Amino acid sequence: MSRMEQLSEYLDLAAFRQKLIASNLANIDTPGYRTRDIDFQSEMRRAQSRLGQEALSPRVYEVPGLIERPDGNNVNLDREGMLLARTQLQFRLGVELLRQEFQRISAAVKEGS
Amino acid sequence: MNLLGVLEISGSALTAERQRAEVLASNLANAQTTRTAKGGPYQRQMVVFGAREAGQGRFAGVLSDFTDRYAQGVAVKRVVPDPTPPVQRYEPEHPDADSQGYVAYPAINPIEEMVNLMGAARSYELNVAAVQATKNMISESLEILGQ
Repeated sequence: MSRMEQLSEYLDLAAFRQKLIASNLANIDTPGYRTRDIDFQSEMRRAQSRLGQEALSPRVYEVPGLIERPDGNNVNLDREGMLLARTQLQFRLGVELLRQEFQRISAAVKEGS
Repeated sequence: MNLLGVLEISGSALTAERQRAEVLASNLANAQTTRTAKGGPYQRQMVVFGAREAGQGRFAGVLSDFTDRYAQGVAVKRVVPDPTPPVQRYEPEHPDADSQGYVAYPAINPIEEMVNLMGAARSYELNVAAVQATKNMISESLEILGQ
């Protein structure tokens, strides 16, 4: 798997996680809603081993061990807030690395001419 | 996978929380209303939230990828009246008083409504923060294109 493919998987996973966080935050007042998440590291490992052949399909699980409110909802604001910030930074890191990769290719093309 | 779908999810929460705030404001405004079109005092309304598949029933829904099975927006499913009986107050000179001189007022506790309203406002802010974060990510991803 090339570095660029890896980075693209990384960004896809970060975007997917962002979507789950947005969903958790949107449903903070929905009775019975359970917090959902993915295991980022194991998904990244899985993505690398399948060589980018199949479409991305991370395993989504309901996060255990969170305090449940009387209406059955267990969204924790602090947890989601932290993850939101973290996912944003991860995405930024991915974008930055991908940009450098493109610059490297572009430099190679220019030097070659 | 697209980040624009994330905006739709947070957007659905903004709409739902605003609707909730509207219903709460209506409850507060009508806390003393003794006359309605249906007759009798105003009845307190409550919103019921439910998770909603992103892009459901729309063209985008047809094209939705698997992520939409897990990532859900939110919507106001129903607005239900509070079955609590009205509060009877003795005001014989009131035009809506019954033969014993009692007037039926809606069973609305303004403090409870205010607390709910604050909850709705906070949840709204929270989702605005999520929209802001997603917007930043989208504009960052555009930087890949430029130099």
